[in-house]
Amino acid sequence: MELDLFVRYGPDLLRGFGVTILCWIAGSLGGLVLGFAIACLYRWSIRPVRWVIEGYVELIRGTPFMIQLFILYYGGPYMGLVLTPVQAGIISFVVYGSPYFAEIFRSGFNAVPKGQIEAARCVGLSEARIMRRIILPQMLVPITAPLTNFIIILSKETAILSVVTVPELLYETQTMAAETFTYIEPFLVLSLFYWLMVIVTSWLGGRVEARVTRHLKRT
Amino acid sequence: MKAKFLSVVAAVGFSLGLAGAAHADLLADIKAKGKIVAATEMHYAPFDILKDGEYQGICHDLFTEVAKELGVEVEFLDLPWQSILPGLEAGKFDIVNAPVTITAERLSRYSFTLPIGNATVALAKKAGDSSITKPEDIAGNAVGSQKGSAQLEQLKAFSATLPTPADIREYVNIDEALADLAAGRIQGVANSMPLMGYAAVQRPGLFEMVMPPFGEPKYFGWVARPGDETASLVEAINAALLKMHEDGRLKAINEKWLGTAPDLPVTMPDVK
Amino acid sequence: MDFSFDVIAHNLPYLLAAARWTLLISVAGMAISMVLGVLLCAARLTPNLALSAFARFYISFFRGVPLLVQLLMFFYMLPYVGLDLPAIAAAILATGMCSAAYTAEILRGALQAIPKGQAEAAEALGIPSLALWRRILVPQAIRLGLPSLVNELILLVKVSSLASVVGIGELTRVSQNITGETYRPLEIYVAAAAIYFVINFVLSRFGRLAEKRLQIG
Repeated sequence: MELDLFVRYGPDLLRGFGVTILCWIAGSLGGLVLGFAIACLYRWSIRPVRWVIEGYVELIRGTPFMIQLFILYYGGPYMGLVLTPVQAGIISFVVYGSPYFAEIFRSGFNAVPKGQIEAARCVGLSEARIMRRIILPQMLVPITAPLTNFIIILSKETAILSVVTVPELLYETQTMAAETFTYIEPFLVLSLFYWLMVIVTSWLGGRVEARVTRHLKRT
Repeated sequence: MKAKFLSVVAAVGFSLGLAGAAHADLLADIKAKGKIVAATEMHYAPFDILKDGEYQGICHDLFTEVAKELGVEVEFLDLPWQSILPGLEAGKFDIVNAPVTITAERLSRYSFTLPIGNATVALAKKAGDSSITKPEDIAGNAVGSQKGSAQLEQLKAFSATLPTPADIREYVNIDEALADLAAGRIQGVANSMPLMGYAAVQRPGLFEMVMPPFGEPKYFGWVARPGDETASLVEAINAALLKMHEDGRLKAINEKWLGTAPDLPVTMPDVK
Repeated sequence: MDFSFDVIAHNLPYLLAAARWTLLISVAGMAISMVLGVLLCAARLTPNLALSAFARFYISFFRGVPLLVQLLMFFYMLPYVGLDLPAIAAAILATGMCSAAYTAEILRGALQAIPKGQAEAAEALGIPSLALWRRILVPQAIRLGLPSLVNELILLVKVSSLASVVGIGELTRVSQNITGETYRPLEIYVAAAAIYFVINFVLSRFGRLAEKRLQIG
């Protein structure tokens, strides 16, 4: 292990880590919002709209992120769509995550017994109130863990942004690896930084879970 | 934090374990088995190509001849770069027969064979772009190259000598730099002369070489583990290469793939 | 832009041949992921502190360290402890074991949504805990978690591309190899994406079908 490498490449690696975190947070939040919107639209719309949504989910979820990003960034200019690396990265990241989030939310909706919603409508609760008071508290119980899972997966998908020269962690690590012909140091850097993100996400996920399952705990 | 601690332990174990992989004499082992295993990235034309499901290229042809000289069979592996050095250290294969630019920093960690190709940097532009006719025309333009490569260093040094420096963009793979040249975000791509030439031959309507090459002359070599264990193997490969220099095989193989034969030194180039 | 369908047609057989590796790793990895995922989830939830600590650590490790690094460890480190796995076995084991960590968490989330009364009733009726898991909890957890599980399996298909680091010429790797020679990345990647899409579409439709079959009411 050569510690001076960390000194030499440290500033670049930290800057890369910062970019990774920014893209990850932007992509996760954007994907969550878009995914929730898609799941709601799917739930409350007519057949043809549902087919379109299913098509979107299958297409985006069924193809690799690297290829989507490559085609958007390097193929886009042929159709007059010239994006900067960070623009292309964040747009495709939000779009890529959305079908996964949408499917998780759909499973959450399915976990709430239909009878409850019908009963709530009968007693005259508004749709917004039903969502906030009846559906959300119950749907969050089974889906918090899968949401945490997927946000963790997204943290590692940020590495693919290096393909379009977004200066994120992997992009910076590769300079170190190629210039110095080392591999243990770069892998160690990657593992520690990603693990750090995963630990924080798991902890946050655990907190949210404790909060949403509070009503299930017996005293 | 427990999790973090364990990963450090794992990494240290990784390095210790790998350091213990030494054999007495690799060449003797290879001769005893009658087979040498060589790994490369089949992703660097015209040296390493996977065409129609088959491994081809300059490094394929040269190494096949070298193996004949050693009197052993050869098995080729395709690995992405991330696992080539770990695999070499772990002894999963005997040598890296990819074209690797010989630099001082890399020589301090691994053994290199004699030069097998010309790694001097050259420029490719979009076909028909009349604003770039010589390397100096990249001044003020956007030029792409591969991250961490010796060619990128040469490009940077060259750019610094221009009245207006070039806007240098770094790509993880050269494929992506060429895709961006085709897409029009950048006006040139700088990489080793053979690769740029091959791209221009493969996509004549799209890419064009800009002559002459620039920067310091650089060479590609093959890579072995450092130390005594591989010394005799590297020596034997070098002897085979020298023999091929003399009997014209080296020239013929290069001409087959490049059209011309580069002037390769028969001694280890001086790298600072 | 000259988009060349000829290049796709010429290289399609090689892409399809590579896709067989993708399929093999995916299917075998899924089996490991599901079986190990159930076991890990059970371990995580048992009152046995050692078992649940192990499960927590397993999940943290396999979700935390990038799969790329895990694969390199499996392939290049295990030989030092006397376990020299063939590349394909290392690839399948690493992807399956990594995916199991995610599967376990999906199942755990789903289990929480099953009313506690069910387990208590089963206990009161004297149903052994193995039967409780096999007959009552796991089937319901799978039903509730199905869309997330399909998500995970689709991710597994795509992440099988990392098997290239142990020398397996799977779909993504071969696409890159072909791009390196033809300099036509857009054509080759569109073709590769189409093959991934077909695999994942079949998987996803199976998931929908299973959802319908398992639906209550």
